[in-house]
Amino acid sequence: MTRTNEELISQAKGQEAPLLPLLHQFHERDGYLSEEALRAISAGLRIPLADLFGTVTFYHHFAREPGGQAAARVCTGPVCKMHGADALLTSMPGATGMPCSGRCDEPIPVLRGNQTWVGLAADALERRDTPVPPAAPAGTTECVFAHIRDENRKSLSGYRRSGGYAALEKAVTSMTADELIAVVDASGLAGRGGAGFPTGRKLRAVQEAGGGPKTVVCNADEGEPGCFKDRALMDHDPHAVLEGMALACVATGAPRAFLYLRYEYPETDTLLARAISQAEEAGILGDDVFGSGRTIRIHLRRGAGAYICGEETSLLNSLEGKHPFPRNRPPYPVTHGYEDTPTAVNNVETLASLPPIVLHGADWYRSLGMGEHAGTKVISLSGDIARPGNYEVPLGLPLATLIDDWAGGPRNGNKIQAVTMAGLSGGFLAGDDMDVTLDEPSIRAKGSFLGAGGIMVFDETRDMVAVAHQAMEFFAHESCGKCFPCRIGTQRLTERLAGDAGPGELSSWLDEMADLNATMKATSACGLGMAAPLITESLVRYFPEEVRAHVSGS
Amino acid sequence: MSDKSGLTLFLDGEEVPFTRGESIFQVSERHEKEIPTLCYDDRLDAFGGCRLCVVELEGARNPVASCTTKAEAGMRVTTRSGKLEMHRRVLLELVVSENREVDVDELSGYASQEMATLVDRYEARTGRFEGRQSGASRPDDPNPFILRDYDNCISCYRCVRVCAEQEGDYAISIMGRGFDTQITTEFGGILKESACTFCGQCIQTCPTGALGDIKALRHKEIELPIEKTRSICIYCGVGCSVDIMTKGDKIVGILPAMDGPANEGALCVKGQFAFDFVHHPDRLKTPFVRDDQGELVPATWDDALDKAAAGLMAAVNEHGRHSLYAIASGRAPNEAGFMMQKLVRAGLGTSYIDNCSRA
Repeated sequence: MTRTNEELISQAKGQEAPLLPLLHQFHERDGYLSEEALRAISAGLRIPLADLFGTVTFYHHFAREPGGQAAARVCTGPVCKMHGADALLTSMPGATGMPCSGRCDEPIPVLRGNQTWVGLAADALERRDTPVPPAAPAGTTECVFAHIRDENRKSLSGYRRSGGYAALEKAVTSMTADELIAVVDASGLAGRGGAGFPTGRKLRAVQEAGGGPKTVVCNADEGEPGCFKDRALMDHDPHAVLEGMALACVATGAPRAFLYLRYEYPETDTLLARAISQAEEAGILGDDVFGSGRTIRIHLRRGAGAYICGEETSLLNSLEGKHPFPRNRPPYPVTHGYEDTPTAVNNVETLASLPPIVLHGADWYRSLGMGEHAGTKVISLSGDIARPGNYEVPLGLPLATLIDDWAGGPRNGNKIQAVTMAGLSGGFLAGDDMDVTLDEPSIRAKGSFLGAGGIMVFDETRDMVAVAHQAMEFFAHESCGKCFPCRIGTQRLTERLAGDAGPGELSSWLDEMADLNATMKATSACGLGMAAPLITESLVRYFPEEVRAHVSGS
Repeated sequence: MSDKSGLTLFLDGEEVPFTRGESIFQVSERHEKEIPTLCYDDRLDAFGGCRLCVVELEGARNPVASCTTKAEAGMRVTTRSGKLEMHRRVLLELVVSENREVDVDELSGYASQEMATLVDRYEARTGRFEGRQSGASRPDDPNPFILRDYDNCISCYRCVRVCAEQEGDYAISIMGRGFDTQITTEFGGILKESACTFCGQCIQTCPTGALGDIKALRHKEIELPIEKTRSICIYCGVGCSVDIMTKGDKIVGILPAMDGPANEGALCVKGQFAFDFVHHPDRLKTPFVRDDQGELVPATWDDALDKAAAGLMAAVNEHGRHSLYAIASGRAPNEAGFMMQKLVRAGLGTSYIDNCSRA
């Protein structure tokens, strides 16, 4: 039965972070967000109408025309472009493009309403399960992927049979928060969303911060092009993510947690909602976790299409129903996060690492890395590679080993021309600089970074100027508009890579690029504007001849 | 060298005191460092958007926005260096590149020259970084007060913030994102159909003239210098300070006084825009009384007052003191209101007096 405006609004008003879920309910009920709906929500939640309208327009996926919610959206991310996404989009009347939707190990994804289809042609789209990560080479010990190929893991009973929720039970019944944090600290685990901040230190900062209630946020807004690891974890091992969130709640003393999921993962949304209610029914989550009297409520919140919401302070503003600009820091979320409460924002992979660390110990986790590097990292490998997919590698593994031994080498036996790092945010590595090990020190020494672990492979047949243009177009599309260097800079870089504007003479062109790169890196307000110039910098560094030809128009 | 709190930091090598809670920008302003900025308005929360105010902070990897960074004891801050000045110049070249024009008439608004002034200070009219321009003007908005020339908008959002933080109207907001960002009302409509009260504060904080004072700009062709005369708005008892702009003997516009103790830069639609009556041909400049034929004829003040007094007393004598009812103007200051009370209560003997905003 269709629910009325009043019913939807009165139900939302009793919830934490009500705006996004309410917008989604209207979006799905009406097939778009009508003026009438926005007026009702504005009055119901007491949000100024102009603010609400502006905020709705910030998100890519909120449709404001009838039928818009169900209209097809075709992924036009870098890897999908290799697969012919532009032609597919053109062949589908009424369809629009969307930035990388996190399925670079599959054919081109097409989102229709709340269903994801994949395929290479409009008449050959099908619905598929998220690919299971390819098997790791014999002798490899995995952390977050250890059980991911066990199909029973999706269910609560299957998860518990393979040791699931034992870490949480142990933590709430026989560990203090300090002991828990000490284990995480000693494990060397650091933020796997890309920033690499030591997880134990973050949890301790929230635990020690004054005020409350404290909050845990799982950042599942996996928007970085070429990154699709968090979806694999959530789809195949959802309870591991929930258990990790609950452990972070125990460590920090937070009674509530939010899982902020990107819009483009509707099936994951359904699956997580079910997992949360199963865990609550079993007394694992809810108001009496394992009979300890402790409350841990996990709230699932769905984004609406904005890469910047993966930036933690934008994410917090988005949760709170505000315009999702990044916040100025300090203060940091660990003291002033969700509704100004001390908040631990952690990536899916980071949180999913907590249960095995608590069960097997800090030394075990540390030992999974190579040499002095602690632990593992999931790499999303895609593009011109024989076996694209998610690989959980020991930190310190040579990139060449991953590409050649684990993933079968370049596709069609072609020569690899370049790889991206950190999805797109780390720019390109090419030539001898691809001789790195997969850890931050090694990659940072080349002027890039590992970040969230997305690596896209481009073989010798690819036009790297065109690839760089697509990358910058993405950053320009996703720039929030708050700070000048990113808002204007990403636009100018895009125009210059497209050949639409800019000096026709090479040295002036390079001067403009160098100045833009330097100013964006030094003065941008958040990581988007700081990282985008790595694309142009690395393009100019590794592909000077291609750049020269591009500028001279030949 | 320290104040009572004893907090100091090093500003370009010099140890200076500060108060807890001050931003680096505020401390630097006090020491006349003239850090450039375009998104800053000291009445609003620091925003950190334009990034022109970045300074070097010892120990920080990147320059920090001085407006949003709180001063801390022992900080070592550099407000000017070759690198900082280069970044500031690039940022200004970028805003020049996104706009139709840099120079706008001074009548556009109080802050309208900020961008042009900085662009000249940094010699940023280089033509570099040319490309698509941002912002779409709204010539379709027929309101007679606020020019919405968004071709010249640089997305500093001072208008949106002043509307929310100072005026509390929340009439305008930010549509879209990135380079396509556009200042909007709900559903992209015109101001009259929004929550706008036409107070004009958005105009006065706009640093580029993208929002302009239409009434003042009517007089931009008069080739005389603008003179400003400090006065008090005549409309109500609040006593907002204004600077009346004149060209020759013509009032061409009103600027809110940012240092006005009652208004701190705020005005309402009447104080901001309703000054045309001053030069209106119908405006009364002398009293009129009716002659024996009932026609209005010019009179002296003495004649007019005598006639009014006679009429009022006649009414009291004939119909009693409660036959009169006085309404005082809401524009009247306290002193005039007091005199009116005196006249009505002591002179005419009735307590029937009220204020126009309640009558």
